[in-house]
Amino acid sequence: MSILWHPALRADWLVLRRTGAIAFVRILGVPVLLLTCCAALACGDFYRGYGWCLAAAALLALGGSHAIAHQGLLDALERWQLGWCAALPVARGAAARTLLLITIVALTASLVIVTVLLLGVSFGAPHRGDLPYAFAGIALALVAGTALAILRVFRRGAFAAHHADGIREPVLAAEWLNDPRLPHLLDWQRRAALVRWRRGGSLVMVGLVLGTVPMGAPMLEVAALVLLVLSWSWLALVMRASADATSLAVTLLGAEPLDMRRARLASFRYPLVAAACALLPMAAGAILGRSGVAALAWMVCACAFSAWPFVRILRATRAESPA
Amino acid sequence: MTALLRAKRVCVAYGDARVLDGIDLEITRGEFVALIGPNGAGKTTLLHAIAGIAPVCGGTVDIAGHDLAKAPREAKQSIGLAIDPPSLPELLTGREGLALFAGARGLPAIPRTTLALAETLSLTSVLDRRVASYSLGMRQKLGILLGLIGEPPLLLLDEPFNGLDPRSALAFKAHLAALAAKGDASVLLATHSLDIAERHATRVVLLMDGRVRRSWDADELAAMREQPERSLEKGMAEACEKES
Repeated sequence: MSILWHPALRADWLVLRRTGAIAFVRILGVPVLLLTCCAALACGDFYRGYGWCLAAAALLALGGSHAIAHQGLLDALERWQLGWCAALPVARGAAARTLLLITIVALTASLVIVTVLLLGVSFGAPHRGDLPYAFAGIALALVAGTALAILRVFRRGAFAAHHADGIREPVLAAEWLNDPRLPHLLDWQRRAALVRWRRGGSLVMVGLVLGTVPMGAPMLEVAALVLLVLSWSWLALVMRASADATSLAVTLLGAEPLDMRRARLASFRYPLVAAACALLPMAAGAILGRSGVAALAWMVCACAFSAWPFVRILRATRAESPA
Repeated sequence: MTALLRAKRVCVAYGDARVLDGIDLEITRGEFVALIGPNGAGKTTLLHAIAGIAPVCGGTVDIAGHDLAKAPREAKQSIGLAIDPPSLPELLTGREGLALFAGARGLPAIPRTTLALAETLSLTSVLDRRVASYSLGMRQKLGILLGLIGEPPLLLLDEPFNGLDPRSALAFKAHLAALAAKGDASVLLATHSLDIAERHATRVVLLMDGRVRRSWDADELAAMREQPERSLEKGMAEACEKES
């Protein structure tokens, strides 16, 4: 491979090919959903002539592309700088060049997909003449969002701020939350959640849900929806991070005479507190939305989807010994 | 003397590959046993099988009178496994990691002896930094401290001197020798450093292809120290030649 590009690119590609279709769906699923939502929003302009729909689509494209690019670039950078290829004699700037190349290819593909989608949804629409404006608005937003993510990721000190070193202590330390019989497991879970939250990938869900809000919806209901989606998105991320941190901790303490019952109780502290914290904005959203049944259904769905990490924690703290 | 560790016909397999094939090993209190052997011989797997973190597919491991399979918590009270540097929790500080391990051992706080050893190994000044910022040597030292927390009677160490500066390595060797001499702890050390095995161990066991091929007792090792032409290096080379 040329010294222009990072050698891990080829390895990542081979792994991706061998993982199969699921890997491609995982990588492409959210970006394609984002672009589809943008095109769907633009329909409001093509069919009804609502100009603000284009602005909303552009805003969604800006935020969504930024969140996806920021998380993807940080993940790749961490894998390359700290993973198996960290010690390879890689040419100066090769990582940045390679990531820029991947970003440009992804951006070009996104523009092609957006063009096809806009051509498709505007076919036979009364305001089809707005097509160039819709394309220009969404394309500019995609480019701007991605460019902003690149600038943020490659600015000096950005990597450290998003890695383990950059995690600051919480304003409200709440020492009592830590289980004295397994101290700092909660800190581990909290920091793991914070690292993931800062990467921003979860925020794209907020944009996607907002993209499906019906035109002319009252602002109060939109605000309620934002509260519900944001709190769910945060809770889901915290649950996953807590389950992952617990699995790592149990593996690390594998040779210790660990009381699994105590470990289970300690592992549930942070996720339960997080769930309680997330229920507050969810309840506020329900009150704002003034639709009790829908809000209740939403909260039940949120709890059901967040239950899987709970099961993972239970499974991780179940076995006394692999022997 | 009763054995602190009694491993009988221990087998470990990963898929079709049998990594350990009927290992018998006994260690009594105060013994310093060095495990030597070529790469892939099964040294690390044997340590993990004794620590209860590698799935054993045959045989028994008995630690301080407790069967590891039947009473894992009781058996694990008597062992301390030094943690491999890449496995350390990067999001915690060194001190937080020590507190987590102390908690897992049922200790109310980090024992003074552990903090004293941290001082001896010159790690105290960085204990409040996140592990992510540690060098390999610092990680190795923290891994050792985590294994020695609560002074378990059987220490399982896998190449613990890798990355240690000479001063810290010397201090740690002296610490291990003192523990073994007092009879407070037994050491099972997996190493490629034949020099350390020859100088400090009371018994050396050669592992090849998942089996014990040869062992040298204290008298043989003492003879080697007196007669340099009978080194462990030569003994191991002869054993390897016989095997091939």
